[in-house]
Amino acid sequence: MKYSYTHHMPYTGIDRSGQDWPVPNKQFDAQKGVEMFNRYVEDKIYAEQTGFDWIGCNEHHMSPYGLMPNPNLVGAVVANRTKRAGILQSGNIVPIVNPIRVAEEYAMLDVMSGGRLVAGFMRGIPHEYVAYNVSPDESYDRMEEAMALIKKAWSEPEPFGWEGEFYQYRAVSIWPKPVQLPFPPMVMSATSERSTRLAAKHRAIAGILALLDMDDGRANINRFKDYSREEGWEPTNDHVMVGVNCCIAPTYDEAKKILEGGQEYFFGVLGGGIRTAQQLVVQKTRYYGSPEESAKLRNKFVNMRSGMKTRSFDERVEMGLMICGTPEMAVEQVTRLHTELGMGRLGLTIKVGNVLDEHVTRTQDYLRDIVFPATRHLGESAGPAQAAE
Amino acid sequence: MFKEKTAMLGKGEIKYFVGGTGRPLIHLHGAGGVRPNAGLEALAENVTIYMPVLPGFDGTAEIAGIDSMETLADLVADFIDKEIGEAADVLGLSFGGWLAAWLAVRHPSKVGQLCMENPAGFRPKDAPAPSTDPETRMKQMYAYPERLPKETKSDKVIAKNLSMLGHYHGDTSFDEKLASQLGKIECLTMIMHGTRDGRVPEEAVQFLKRDIPRSHLIYVYDAAHSMETDQPARFAHLVADFMERAEAFLVNQGTTSGRPQQVL
Repeated sequence: MKYSYTHHMPYTGIDRSGQDWPVPNKQFDAQKGVEMFNRYVEDKIYAEQTGFDWIGCNEHHMSPYGLMPNPNLVGAVVANRTKRAGILQSGNIVPIVNPIRVAEEYAMLDVMSGGRLVAGFMRGIPHEYVAYNVSPDESYDRMEEAMALIKKAWSEPEPFGWEGEFYQYRAVSIWPKPVQLPFPPMVMSATSERSTRLAAKHRAIAGILALLDMDDGRANINRFKDYSREEGWEPTNDHVMVGVNCCIAPTYDEAKKILEGGQEYFFGVLGGGIRTAQQLVVQKTRYYGSPEESAKLRNKFVNMRSGMKTRSFDERVEMGLMICGTPEMAVEQVTRLHTELGMGRLGLTIKVGNVLDEHVTRTQDYLRDIVFPATRHLGESAGPAQAAE
Repeated sequence: MFKEKTAMLGKGEIKYFVGGTGRPLIHLHGAGGVRPNAGLEALAENVTIYMPVLPGFDGTAEIAGIDSMETLADLVADFIDKEIGEAADVLGLSFGGWLAAWLAVRHPSKVGQLCMENPAGFRPKDAPAPSTDPETRMKQMYAYPERLPKETKSDKVIAKNLSMLGHYHGDTSFDEKLASQLGKIECLTMIMHGTRDGRVPEEAVQFLKRDIPRSHLIYVYDAAHSMETDQPARFAHLVADFMERAEAFLVNQGTTSGRPQQVL
């Protein structure tokens, strides 16, 4: 198993944020912000020392949910201060930003890190479109066109122009170009049907980042495999990454208390304002594609939220949706996830909501000392990804 | 929109179509012959398009002595002399793009600006040949076949059109003689390539970009080989802008609608 360290860099200096969109920033305390940034960056650097294969940065806008509107800035710091780990940008929200800028900054990160960039291309979560005033209806089409343009910018041997639906450039020739040829490895979401098709088309690593249950995860992974075969290639274990929350402590009760509290803060405080914008987008636009697909995904996320309310924390751990407990339990949980889903990569979010930073470090240490050594062998085969049927 | 006319040239008579408003533009057709379409109609709002029917295409007679790309280019130069009377901008599609390059090499004084649209004739030797399977060929040709105008040509004419390619260039897929002279092209050149073009590999247009001195390569997104019908608005806007503003077409002019332009 290969591990990716996910850290949203949340702003935890508030007790409540309300439901307004955008979240008023008068509560932002600059001094606290400075301290958090420094700590969070150190946590990311430490992730390499504890054995994580990739260190992730991701883009979110206008809320305390995450303090990384431009993850490439943080990625640059991480790239400069690490030697081995992949720099996972998971990712730039391609449809709402300038794709040439993405191509340039990702190329910079690849050069700065000596070829360690893992290029994530995400569509983001719905509120980002309100933040950057881009039509959610256009998000898939923008994503497809931007991806094609970015790959051209990386690989084209001659200066070129682009006449597209959303993007027009008459002369492109980026400096620097990426170190990794023809492209850095790519990560894309594979949650909706269309995003899965796109991930398969670009031979990306599929990010399964919202697990409803094991059946749902299996269905997503199998769909990705099917679409990849239609595109003429066979994904390996390494082409599937599942994301879960993680907390490890000396006892299950302590880990539960920490993670449950962090999740409550995450949804109750950090997630308030963005949910307001999200509902507007989901209800009033075709962000999730066709009406059928939209209804399906809406139901999925409603079920996830209601699952949080109707299923106890213990039940959700039992279902395999989190890594939570003692180190030994964590080993079992990772093993079960691999057995059930067949993925070769696991993205772990340890800083969930306001989980204390010292607890984050402790979990990292348990992973380094016990969980990683016991689970490295899982999914080592470079053969086809095999989920239980 | 396009009126049929006849031109009396030194070597013989050819049919051509003309229509539009603005400075003259010679359009050299592809293997399918002259095919008015939405892209050309949109372009004709800004330029006057002259579309000669090359000898032997679309049921017309061949002309003795016009049996190579070079002699065909000479004939087009004569057409420009007789019908325009001064240098004209030239746009060539596929086979016509190949021919346009020969014209620019052999008669540089006749060509104002040059536009090559998915040009044939420069397929690298190691690139796979275009498919002959009808279904695959259709996909390589058209991203949006439903946008094609209704076919008006008989099967016999279509077959003869295709056979004329061999008449002019044999089985050449990479024109080494022309390739070695691309550096002689003096005019400002735009090479256009559809991102879904399955007939002309991108290595071919990259080669042209590399070897034609004052050239720009533009990818037209979501267009296959038949760019004029797949993306008529993009095609027409790009060609008109290039023809009108020349090198300055690199610079964004903003919008004239009064609405602030969003910078992404």
